[in-house]
Amino acid sequence: MSTVTDSPVADRSGLTPELQAARRRKVRRQRLAPVLYIGPAFLAIAVIIGYPVVNAIGTSFLDASLLRPGQDTFAGLGNYLALFGDPEFLTVLGRTLIWASSALVVQLGLGLLIANTLNKKLRARGAIRTTLIIPWIVPTVLVALIWRFMLDPVSGPINELLRSSGLLDNPPIWLADTRFVLPVLVLISAWKWTPFGAVILLAGMQQIPQEQHEAAMVDGANAWQRFRNVTVPAIRTSIALVTLTTISGAINNFNGIWMFTRGGPAGATEILTTLAYRTAFTQFDFGKASAISVVIFAMMMMIAVVYFYVVEGRKGGPR
Amino acid sequence: MRKNRSHATVGAHAVAGVLLLGTVLPFAWMVLSSFKTPAELNGADKQLLPSGLYLGNYEAVADTNFFTYFLNSVIVAAGTTTIALLLAILAGYGFARFTFVGNRGMLLIVVAAQMFPAVMLAIPLFITVKTLGLLDSLVGLIVVYISFALPLCIWLMRNYFLAIPVETEEAAFIDGCSRLRALWKVVLPPALPGVMAASVFTIIQVWEEFLYANTFIDTDDKRTLSVGLNSLIGEFTTDWGRLLAAGVLVMIPVLAIFGYLQRYVTQIASGGVKG
Repeated sequence: MSTVTDSPVADRSGLTPELQAARRRKVRRQRLAPVLYIGPAFLAIAVIIGYPVVNAIGTSFLDASLLRPGQDTFAGLGNYLALFGDPEFLTVLGRTLIWASSALVVQLGLGLLIANTLNKKLRARGAIRTTLIIPWIVPTVLVALIWRFMLDPVSGPINELLRSSGLLDNPPIWLADTRFVLPVLVLISAWKWTPFGAVILLAGMQQIPQEQHEAAMVDGANAWQRFRNVTVPAIRTSIALVTLTTISGAINNFNGIWMFTRGGPAGATEILTTLAYRTAFTQFDFGKASAISVVIFAMMMMIAVVYFYVVEGRKGGPR
Repeated sequence: MRKNRSHATVGAHAVAGVLLLGTVLPFAWMVLSSFKTPAELNGADKQLLPSGLYLGNYEAVADTNFFTYFLNSVIVAAGTTTIALLLAILAGYGFARFTFVGNRGMLLIVVAAQMFPAVMLAIPLFITVKTLGLLDSLVGLIVVYISFALPLCIWLMRNYFLAIPVETEEAAFIDGCSRLRALWKVVLPPALPGVMAASVFTIIQVWEEFLYANTFIDTDDKRTLSVGLNSLIGEFTTDWGRLLAAGVLVMIPVLAIFGYLQRYVTQIASGGVKG
């Protein structure tokens, strides 16, 4: 666009050899430029992500234990066959799916409610939005601290409230009760993660032209009909994005569960990530643990493929 | 219709009120309870408000390694953010300005790099960090943390650079500026919100990180806040006073940073769709 050279015609015909050489150097430098800019970051990604991923996939085919260093043997599909033949693993796999789908239902439902509420003409809307997002920026360890305190059977206010209000004479010890612990963790993780989805959904809703709602109102649509027939179709992409991040976040969740229950009581909150971690760092069975993590990875990839097929395919390719 | 609309607004205010209460109440309860005496916390007669401004819980925090954990988290966050951003500014600029063979493929790798389960990377990274002799060191933790910080930073910086017109740096080239200098002097200043956003996101993630810190650090003195506070929860579950005081102290800087940079945080979250 902006050529500094005098005249392109003269360029092509009568350039001195020195100038031609200089131009060649410049062209070569321009070709090298992307390497110089992207190279360092890419090298870092290759070393601290690419290599570990390849290594993990490789290790999943080995009989590898930290207790016997240097004595890894090839196991073929042995680790995978052992896993899928193990009813306990299948239970954990099933629980992971239950955990992820209930997280999706709660977080998407609440997220839509929050976004739809904040999309109305509210007093102090900005301040409300800012406040609602606080649990999301607070570290999980603080969430664990707060909710373990809230649910504490002796000092915590929740059981105290249930008792004093007469709702429950003998409220359960929520985090130690195999019947309640998983639903309670679903709710607590929704408390932390819903705001993130709500912000994405809200951004989508704010791009809907006001006229569409007004037209629907003129047609006599009530609030629910407008939400279903105007809002939801218009923010399909946002909903798909929240679905993807919620499911993958739940499948990948480790911190929250480990801090609250470490997979207990009696394995009631064990999901694939905590099982992989336990297998690797308390049993030191790196081969089996890698196989579990490859299973997690395969689930993530399936979600990603579905997402790109549904969202990007409909839009006609990414950007 | 007018009546209908004001009806809806009342409903929305009511829903917002309930949501606000559910969000704020647990935090408020933590703050209030941190000023209660041990007797008030464990006693049978539960009071909403503490009887006085009891500071014993805060004094008790000083007996733990809490402030060391805090400092370690600050060091790791600063190191990770600096290195990841330097690399990401260069790479983000490269992706925004050059078309070259493998351009799209490499960008796809950057996006995919965010999807690998942390647990999957933990095992091989553990072996690598051990081989390098960086187990149980903050430097090792910074190296590992770049794995999750860098891809996101590259993506954010690329999007910010794309929004800046090429003409700004072309003018600098005519003035005899090298590309790197032009990036630093002309392109980066208007992209500063992007740098802020990427920093905030990296800091939040480092503050949050638990899996790697729990695996790669053995010594109590080198624990980060997440791991350190979590170990205190295990140790003092009955002594809620001291834990809650520590929780309030964790909360203060998070809220301060957030209050200052709040618009960047919401901007990124919503930027996900605009991409």
